[in-house]
Amino acid sequence: MRSLIRYTHPRSSLLPSFGFSSPVPWTGLENDIDRWFESTLSDFLSPALENRFPVDLYEDKENTYVRADLPGVDRKEINLEMVNGYLTISATRKTKGPEGEESFALSRSVAIPEDVHADQVSAAYENGVLTVTLPKQEEAKPRKITVEVK
Amino acid sequence: MSRLQNLVPSFARRSAAPDTTEATVRPWYEIKETPEAWGLTVYLPGVGKDGLEITAEEGVITVRGRRQWKAPAGWTALYRESPDAAYELALTHDNTINVEKIHAELVDGVLRASLPKAEAIKPRKIAVS
Repeated sequence: MRSLIRYTHPRSSLLPSFGFSSPVPWTGLENDIDRWFESTLSDFLSPALENRFPVDLYEDKENTYVRADLPGVDRKEINLEMVNGYLTISATRKTKGPEGEESFALSRSVAIPEDVHADQVSAAYENGVLTVTLPKQEEAKPRKITVEVK
Repeated sequence: MSRLQNLVPSFARRSAAPDTTEATVRPWYEIKETPEAWGLTVYLPGVGKDGLEITAEEGVITVRGRRQWKAPAGWTALYRESPDAAYELALTHDNTINVEKIHAELVDGVLRASLPKAEAIKPRKIAVS
């Protein structure tokens, strides 16, 4: 429940543009409706800023990869931990607000489907996306076995 | 098909909204106001400088960002949460922004733009004599 009382934006503020612009008698109603949709859908549509940032999981023959959307985080503020088949990514986003520095903690654990060399995990951060490379253990790699039939 | 279109004229008609526009995602954003300017912060993970486009038209500022990363060959997606769609954010204003002096920078997937207010609407102290 975000807003019970209709809030009419002052005209001078920046508003996201909606499809409606004509001054109709029920002005404000479509904004309300948009806002309901936004507040309901924002969890799906707006990935940033929630405690749970979006994560993708990829693999190739050699490695498992985890990619996480972590915009605006200092590289030093990213911590990775590999425990019992779970990769935990925690990060702190620090922003300078008018009332000084604000800090925002983000954390997420991802189950890694295969055994990995926990000591050879590496990570790179580019354009606000973290890519973690987890090398698979030998047993997990597909191995070609030739069986001789007698 | 053409015979069917002759029989049912509405079949020949094009759909009201031709499906040429690409689906976009509205990015998470914040706007803060100071007496001098509006500060716009847009979170665009995966977008680099080359994939970013800011346009200021009459009364609308549009931010478009495209993720540049593509999964290399051989990578299989096991689980996806991040959208592939481009980001698009359109903000209307009533021309109280000094468009000439917009300053924007993109660092680590975060766009921070300062939209200076037009001189006319800045608070002004009036001396009383």
